[in-house]
Amino acid sequence: MTVRCTSCISTRVLPFRLTFRPGVPISDQVVYAATRAIVAGQLQPGEAFPSVRTLSRDLKINPNTAHKVITQLLNDGLLESRPGIGTVVALLPHSTATQRTNLLGPQIEELVVEAKRLSIDLDGITSAISRHWKRLTTPPTGGSK
Amino acid sequence: MTAATPAIETRGLSKTFGHTEALAPLDLVIPRGSVFALVGHNGAGKTTLIKLLLNILQPTHGSATVLGESSAALTGESFTHIGYVSENQEFPEWMTVQAMMNYLRPFYPTWNIGDLLADLDLPPDRKVKQLSRGMRMKVALASVLAFRPPLIVMDEPFSGLDPLVRDELIKALLDRMNDEYEANPDSGATILISSHDLAEVESFATHVAFLHQGKLLFAESMATLIARFREVTVTLDPSARSTSFTPPTTWLLPESTASVYCFIHSNAEAENVEQQVESLLPHVIAIQSEPMTLRTIFLALAKSSQAKDWSRA
Repeated sequence: MTVRCTSCISTRVLPFRLTFRPGVPISDQVVYAATRAIVAGQLQPGEAFPSVRTLSRDLKINPNTAHKVITQLLNDGLLESRPGIGTVVALLPHSTATQRTNLLGPQIEELVVEAKRLSIDLDGITSAISRHWKRLTTPPTGGSK
Repeated sequence: MTAATPAIETRGLSKTFGHTEALAPLDLVIPRGSVFALVGHNGAGKTTLIKLLLNILQPTHGSATVLGESSAALTGESFTHIGYVSENQEFPEWMTVQAMMNYLRPFYPTWNIGDLLADLDLPPDRKVKQLSRGMRMKVALASVLAFRPPLIVMDEPFSGLDPLVRDELIKALLDRMNDEYEANPDSGATILISSHDLAEVESFATHVAFLHQGKLLFAESMATLIARFREVTVTLDPSARSTSFTPPTTWLLPESTASVYCFIHSNAEAENVEQQVESLLPHVIAIQSEPMTLRTIFLALAKSSQAKDWSRA
């Protein structure tokens, strides 16, 4: 008998890749993967975002979950709906200082805690951050297509 | 029947074969619009439960309602609203796929096969007896999806299928769900799927119930289940003397060595795990709490229910 993990779905059809991890709600994971693709420029502003049906089919997720993902991304300002066209990637919103604090506060704390637990010093953590920052920085437009 | 009526509801439903209790009294609610995964090992009682719900078997005690109707009163007419796909389905072997579909069509007022055969890559002119197991499951699914029932019951639809066929079946099912979702986002079709392998359904199931040796261990939404269980590893100072204590009932399968205490927390969302651990265990150095795959959750629950049965015996 073949045993294959169908929960680890990796797809190239969608403009982002995703392997589901256990213990985290699926919608959160898809929102994260899409956000990552948008900030990294794999999805450019104005580009069409997959429909509920495409997300559901390709990731094998419930349509309700797919809908939740798109609603969340619309609320986050990462997508916008254009009548007659569908949902497209928005220009990255300029966030306010409060928004930034709210969004990143817990994550930064988590990072600091982890770093201290592993006895990584401040220099180590900043250079790790800048490496990742460069990796995810939008390449000059026109490059990918 | 309103949208609030559950698709399926059982009250004390049980089945005994001779001296064997195949299904202990079961109370279960399957909400409308849910994709409800019924999981359990072979012989756990999944098929028995499904057959009771569909009036193929009669309960020893208790009752069930299916789409608002008593399961004991389900007749031919009711099955124009309920689609049933089973791994042991009998087919008119001598018919071609197309002939079988033509034969089924007049039974269902809502029949609309559309491009289903092509979508599922089914050869219309091939005789059913010449089809592989995977193809037969696709035929079974096509004949159910074609009449768009508000309730689809699938008994082990994916067992023994290769990943490609399984993928096709899941896609066809999701397409159907998407159609329903677009037509009526608030109350889509209800799908009950039994499986011994949750990995097959966990990405699109909304609810999951686990049957073990005829007993329901739990039934709840996927989101709460995922939030509830954590695998906790506590590192202790080995030089400290260990004191005995009684772990809370929400801690499953506790195990310990001199420096490590592990358990599975079954209520990690509501209880403060770290506080609990620190108040009960002396000299805690580190607490690690990891999310669990559903597979490991099930194994843990099955093992801990066995442990309880043994301690009672």
